Amino acid sequence: MSTTLALVIISGIATGAIYSLIALSIVIVYKASDAVNFAAGEFTMVGAYIALFFIVSASLPYYLIFPIVAAATFILGGAFERLVVVPITNRTKGRENPLIPIVIATFGLSLMLTGFVRVFPYTEEVRSLPPLIRGAPIFVGGVPILLTDIAIVVVAVTAILGFWLFFSYTMLGKALQASSQNPRTAALSGIPVAKMRMIVWAIAGLMAGVSGMLVGPKLALTPNLGGIIMIAIAAAVIGGFSNLPGSILGGFIVGVVQNLIGYFFGSTTIAVAPFLIIMVVLLFRPQGLFGGPVHVKKV
Amino acid sequence: MLKLEGISASYGAVQALEGVSLEVEAGKIACLLGANGAGKSSTLNCISGVVPIRSGAIWFDGQRIDGRSIEQIVRHGIAQVPEGREIYPEMSVADNLVLGAWIHRRDTKQVRNDIARVYEIFPRLKEREQQHAGTLSGGEQQMLMIGRALMSRPRLLLMDEPSLGLSPVLVEKLFEVIEHLNQTGLTILLVEQNAQLALKTSEYGYILENGEMAFHGPSGELRSNEKVREAYLGT
Ligand SMILES: Nc1ncnc2c1ncn2[C@@H]1O[C@H](COP(=O)(O)OP(=O)(O)OP(=O)(O)O)[C@@H](O)[C@H]1O
Ligand SMILES: [Mg+2]
Repeated sequence: MSTTLALVIISGIATGAIYSLIALSIVIVYKASDAVNFAAGEFTMVGAYIALFFIVSASLPYYLIFPIVAAATFILGGAFERLVVVPITNRTKGRENPLIPIVIATFGLSLMLTGFVRVFPYTEEVRSLPPLIRGAPIFVGGVPILLTDIAIVVVAVTAILGFWLFFSYTMLGKALQASSQNPRTAALSGIPVAKMRMIVWAIAGLMAGVSGMLVGPKLALTPNLGGIIMIAIAAAVIGGFSNLPGSILGGFIVGVVQNLIGYFFGSTTIAVAPFLIIMVVLLFRPQGLFGGPVHVKKV
Repeated sequence: MLKLEGISASYGAVQALEGVSLEVEAGKIACLLGANGAGKSSTLNCISGVVPIRSGAIWFDGQRIDGRSIEQIVRHGIAQVPEGREIYPEMSVADNLVLGAWIHRRDTKQVRNDIARVYEIFPRLKEREQQHAGTLSGGEQQMLMIGRALMSRPRLLLMDEPSLGLSPVLVEKLFEVIEHLNQTGLTILLVEQNAQLALKTSEYGYILENGEMAFHGPSGELRSNEKVREAYLGT
């Protein structure tokens, strides 16, 4: 394998880890509210700009920026659920297609955030965040691996692992899952399902926000970064849209495939990759690469 | 222990209950019968605080509980085993049970003891502990729902058609469990389609028709009542 090809794949793994986070953000909301949050990409963008703002204006180090970005996007996600999703849900209860207004509202939020972020300094020109770690690349078998790529993967994988432990082993995490899988029954056990749904949106905001801090050093930062959501949706589709491990793997697959397409067919073709993946998967394995038969949701 | 005084409830324009009164004595099993759509589930959901009542009152242990949140009512000691197969399909049997103890979640040691007790009653669940609940058979899922309700440590258990879809052998087992639970001091309000068995197991019976209480009395008397026999026992 040529060194360039190896580099292409490694860089794909690093961006893939980021896509996994955004895909998870989309899928947990989908499981909790049955709606796709089309503003997930803008949460990434906002996370990246919050990081940029504190790096440029206050030269804060990443270990301080991380909690700031996490807290801000956590609150943003929860607030959107409480202030927009809940009132819409209450109004559309019992109507046909009650989810369409919510999905439209997430489109609205994505436009709002894209517009709103331009009010802040440092958004008028294309920038990118400094590398997470500076230093000479590590050579593995003659292939230079950037420290920042390693850091991105480590942070993303740690975050994903943290979420997994939280959802599987804590009572709150289990209650969040239960409220998504069977809200009426969860309520009968005294679980406050409305609060749980808000927490899911908040965590989803945080996941996407943190991904923005990680993507900032790799991609050019513009208020239109939210378009990254198509890539995350491709990752989620690979996972069958409701399978969490599948979406994580999907993120890595998309990251690598995208780079390979760019390598073999030229960088202008990269943008096509997510659509290509979505279409191929939906045509041949609509339940995702890892799921069982098509999941039929019981009404 | 539980007392419903002329409660009415509706879903939008659909009137589901009209002036329903009912009483369950501590330590007893009472059953609530009626045809499809008579309002049995609605009655249980009013007690659990899922469906608000429009008029009337609900008393539990001398306190008015109507208007309280579901969580508060569970904390008072009322648990419901809902109708159907209401489980968390993608979570393990053990997690399904643990979630029933949400209101006691800080008391981890006692939660562990309670799970052990549920496994004693349903050894089958112990064998399936780590399996996804969605892979259980219908009968096992019913056991799981009962176990989960017990995890909140209720004093009154509301059961909504637990025998639905079970084979005759399993139904018999289920009723043994119900009697066993009752002997350990649990008060039970049992909603059933299987009127014969329900009236045999319970001390007192209520029969709903179109949201109104049509008959009530000691179960033995209901079983010999001409009209009840004709309409509900098929004899
Ligand atoms: N969520 C709801 N929205 C509107 N109407 C409802 C709702 N739930 C119940 N109803 C109506 O209320 C009435 C009583 O329903 P309920 O479910 O309490 O009956 P049930 O006795 O439990 O019947 P079954 O034996 O079929 O379970 C029915 O006419 C039903 O159509
Ligand atoms: Mg019913």
